[in-house]
Amino acid sequence: MKSDFGIEGIVFNIQRYTIHDGPGIRTEVFLKGCPLRCKWCSNPESMKTGPEVGVYADRCIGVDKCGYCLSACPQSQDRVIFTADNKVTGIDREKCTNCNKCAESCPANALMTWGNKMTVTEVMKVILADREFYRKSGGGVTLSGGEVFLQWEFAFELLKECKENYLHTCVESALHVRTDILEKIYPYVDLVLTDIKHMNSTKHMEFTGVGNELILQNIKKTVEMNKPLVIRIPVVPEHNNCEENIRTTAEFIVNELHNRVNQVQLLPYRQLGTEKYSSLGIEYPMDDFKPVKRIVWEQNIIHLVKVMKSYGVPAVAGTTSKINL
Amino acid sequence: MSAVEPYDKDWGVGVSGMVDNPSPFPRINNMLKWLDGFTAGVDHERACLVTEVYQKFSGKPQIVKCAEALSHVLRNITLQIQPNELIVGGLAAQPKSAPVFPEFSITWMLDEIKNNPWKNRTHDVHIMSEETEKNILELGEYWVGKTVEDLIKSTSTDEEAKGTSAGKGVFFLDLYTTGGIGHVCANYEKLFKLGFGGLKKKVEEKLASVDRSLPEDIKKRNFYQAQLIVLDASIKYIKRYALLAQEMAAKEQDKVRKNELLQIADNCAWVSENPPRTFWEAIQLYNIATNIILLESNGHSITYGRFDQLFYPFYKNDIDNKTTTREFVQELIENFFIKIHQLNKIRDVGNTIIATGVRMGGTALDVGGVDKYGRDATNDLSYMVLDAHAHTRIPNPWMAARVHANTPPEFKIKLFNVIRIGTGEPKILNDEVYIPAAMNYGRSLEDARDYVGVGCVEPDAAGKEYGWHDAAYFNMAKVLELAINDGRCVGCAANCPRWEICGSVGKRLGAQTGSLADFKSFDEVLDAYDKQMEYWCDRLVSCINIMDISHQQLKPLPYLSLLIDDCIEKGVDVSAGGAKYNFSGPQGVGTGSVADGLATIKQLVFEDKKVTGAELLKAVNDNWEGHEPLYALVNSDKIHHYGNDDNYADELASFALSTYCKHVEKRPNARGGMFMPGVYSVSINVLCGLFQNASIEGRKSYEPISDCLGPVHTYAGSHDISGPTAIANSVSKLDLVRVGNGTILNWKFTPTCLTGETGRDNLISVIDGFFEKKGMQSQFNVVSRKTLLAAQANPEKYKGLLVRVAGYSAYFVELSKELQDDLIGRTELSFD
Ligand code: SF4
Ligand code: SF4
Repeated sequence: MKSDFGIEGIVFNIQRYTIHDGPGIRTEVFLKGCPLRCKWCSNPESMKTGPEVGVYADRCIGVDKCGYCLSACPQSQDRVIFTADNKVTGIDREKCTNCNKCAESCPANALMTWGNKMTVTEVMKVILADREFYRKSGGGVTLSGGEVFLQWEFAFELLKECKENYLHTCVESALHVRTDILEKIYPYVDLVLTDIKHMNSTKHMEFTGVGNELILQNIKKTVEMNKPLVIRIPVVPEHNNCEENIRTTAEFIVNELHNRVNQVQLLPYRQLGTEKYSSLGIEYPMDDFKPVKRIVWEQNIIHLVKVMKSYGVPAVAGTTSKINL
Repeated sequence: MSAVEPYDKDWGVGVSGMVDNPSPFPRINNMLKWLDGFTAGVDHERACLVTEVYQKFSGKPQIVKCAEALSHVLRNITLQIQPNELIVGGLAAQPKSAPVFPEFSITWMLDEIKNNPWKNRTHDVHIMSEETEKNILELGEYWVGKTVEDLIKSTSTDEEAKGTSAGKGVFFLDLYTTGGIGHVCANYEKLFKLGFGGLKKKVEEKLASVDRSLPEDIKKRNFYQAQLIVLDASIKYIKRYALLAQEMAAKEQDKVRKNELLQIADNCAWVSENPPRTFWEAIQLYNIATNIILLESNGHSITYGRFDQLFYPFYKNDIDNKTTTREFVQELIENFFIKIHQLNKIRDVGNTIIATGVRMGGTALDVGGVDKYGRDATNDLSYMVLDAHAHTRIPNPWMAARVHANTPPEFKIKLFNVIRIGTGEPKILNDEVYIPAAMNYGRSLEDARDYVGVGCVEPDAAGKEYGWHDAAYFNMAKVLELAINDGRCVGCAANCPRWEICGSVGKRLGAQTGSLADFKSFDEVLDAYDKQMEYWCDRLVSCINIMDISHQQLKPLPYLSLLIDDCIEKGVDVSAGGAKYNFSGPQGVGTGSVADGLATIKQLVFEDKKVTGAELLKAVNDNWEGHEPLYALVNSDKIHHYGNDDNYADELASFALSTYCKHVEKRPNARGGMFMPGVYSVSINVLCGLFQNASIEGRKSYEPISDCLGPVHTYAGSHDISGPTAIANSVSKLDLVRVGNGTILNWKFTPTCLTGETGRDNLISVIDGFFEKKGMQSQFNVVSRKTLLAAQANPEKYKGLLVRVAGYSAYFVELSKELQDDLIGRTELSFD
């Protein structure tokens, strides 16, 4: 997308002071849109590319006292906004044009927009506000998503601008992307964070909607290009939580990547984002899943870390260990 | 066992004081447990002794009377040496017992004994024997009409008092109206050099040189005579401890304890007159010499100064001569902390709102920082003092770590590891701002570099200053209310106690500065705030000067004057301007509230024109009832709010604060010194709120106003939503060097956010960055499970609470109930 002020991206969040997606204190820019549909995804607002309105009924003041959204909505004759018990409870996604007028008028954030068009300059302004903190902590900027590379032209310009300002850059991506795009962007990236969700492509397809061939190929490419790399394994019950898969992953890292990864993080799955799903009128895909007791689950992760380490892989549990770059 | 811990010793995150036996020393753990068995109480002995003297010497010059009173106390008060202790001293026979000071005020005490007994308070409960009750009621009759409080109240006119808590609570003077001043740091260096004997010689020389024919010198003669009276009594007081230790040693069966008691006796006997020779002697003298300050006046925040600097020569000497071990020094420091923890002061129920659960309060002790020449002064003791807190986990002393551009990284790691424990101790003071702030009010470069943080955070030229650092709390948010409502309170009506003399007869509480309903531009709003501020600062200053004169007249402090330069030199009591530096420090409260109130007016009324000024005024007059959408809007992120690194609101915060400073700074005070504003609230933002109806930034009636330099939190939600770096940026845009009496910034982190080396190092980086940008002070709350539960119950109050979720951090209240439960259960074994 181009505007008068240069290229625009759809950003659904900019979070300052993130400290676990790359080294030091970072500002993380979340770009909207993702080609994968991981069942455990905790950011459903990141899936679609365009802006969307989320509905949080319990924050609504009451249609009788307020009702601003109803007057603001240009489609209001069509009853696009649903109400029940005097509260706004949902939006007819078929009829809604995502004009965002309702959310703009809502004083209570009961209606909220996910996804804003922003120029590189606008994003840079937020990023640069924390540059002293990056310098003190060895931090920088992380681009995340969604899938960063769905908006790769925007990501490219933004990363270039970051490098021009001498900022450390990190990209968190599923790497389900054309390899030539990676080659174009990597010169402006200092660290890559990616996932290996499953070594078995059929399983991968079952839980994420895509196979893993392209992803594994891109991971190899990343190593070939000498990019510092952190691999994350979200350990999800009933998906990849078997020792066998962890062993296969370790073998891949040792044999195919020559163990040239800076860190492998095993992350415990958590049931998150269920409220966000309902605010967007989407069903939570892992609704019937019953979480295991936390302590049992963490012990399990610690065990899997040990298994990985036995292959010489620099595995750790979680994201609080220092990354050796 | 090495008692001196490695610099990177990790005590865990957010475990706070919830551990048994925190110290490696059994003696310390036993003392802590023993102390737990005592409840706070009140002791009448001091009050009885003082009253006897006042009755007997009623005709004597005031300063001599005060000296005789202290002398009588020191010679007769019951002493106690506690099991296990190596350092002796106390204020009353029972630990945690508060002596009574009828010289300052009595009315409230008599009233509360009769009508609201201390044992029935909801917080700050004190128990009292029947004998004590009877004694206080009896002696109380003598004091009614003769106290400092009586003099202050009878001197103030209604015009002056209408802003106080007796009126409409624009400012609060209660602390120094009902009690002593305190907020001072003695010149311990001088005491250690001369001892009481050396001081006595000095005073005698000065007395000998007085020219008795000069009228001025007659005052001086009285002053020196008073000092000699308290000096003799102090020497005697320490000797009484020596005697008691000897008696106890004679009876002691346990050989080890017997030897300890004999050593205590020797220490006391020696330091009663002579300069201390060892670390143990020095800390013994230090403890008792400070307690005497606390027996002379009940002013709190008697500061212990730069401990690591004061004691290093003794420590080094003992270690070099192999006469002690680091372990033993460590044990003595921890013992000393427990001694401080027993000090107590009884406050009236109103003042306990200001200072809930603080006991004595303000027992400040500093480590780290630069020396007089600007070089890093961190030494072994700086680390050992931090360890001592980790080993005791008690809220005393109030510790401050001074840091500067060249603070060693090891010290920061030690410091933040202690902070991560989650007790809230210590706070951090930034030398790079404190020193210029101290110089801005006329202190020399050397004295500024050697500052201590008195009480909460106030910069003070240790041993040379009488800073009146806690002179008042001033509600800037109330000033904004009056400014936009033509000088009237919001909700002005017949139920106001002042109605008959004010509203009903066409008058108003404040200056007539126009109404928001009529203002044509935002500049008129700013102008009204400025004028209203001037009006109230005039009254504030006059009230504080009245207090000052009253204290001078009735409660000179000949003992404290021995330990503050240049009182002896000048022959002038510290209460009357004898100190080298003299300040009066009232605190402005509500920076965030004023900033957000102004931003709301600017944005909604004058820019977006979404509401009229009249509508906004009506909404607050109606306590937002019937204005729900507007109430939600002003509390939402659609309005520019301070604390989000948003210049729009941050510039208004700057205006709010500097307007207050402008009308207070450098005005003359009653001791030949000047006024020096601070901007912090402790918890007085709660009290301020109780005097205020609803306000524009989205407060409902009686809700607290914003705290210290923090962003606004209302019942409807927190106004800061951009995380710690944004807060750091917002706060550092303020001109803090100008705020010579200090500022506070409270940080809240969840333990999960700070776990691991990354959690620790990133926290260090935030504060490093904040301080490089000229942030002045920081203190931390590493939030516990309990707080998370509270956050779950009242999510709107905890909007800014950043927590570590899975691969990322997020705001706790935005998480689902399940995840919140997950996080609550997560604190022990946490690695993501
Ligand atoms: S604008 Fe917001 S608060 Fe008002 S009725 Fe609509 S959803 Fe509810
Ligand atoms: S009468 Fe009105 S203006 Fe006067 S003090 Fe009372 S409320 Fe305030």
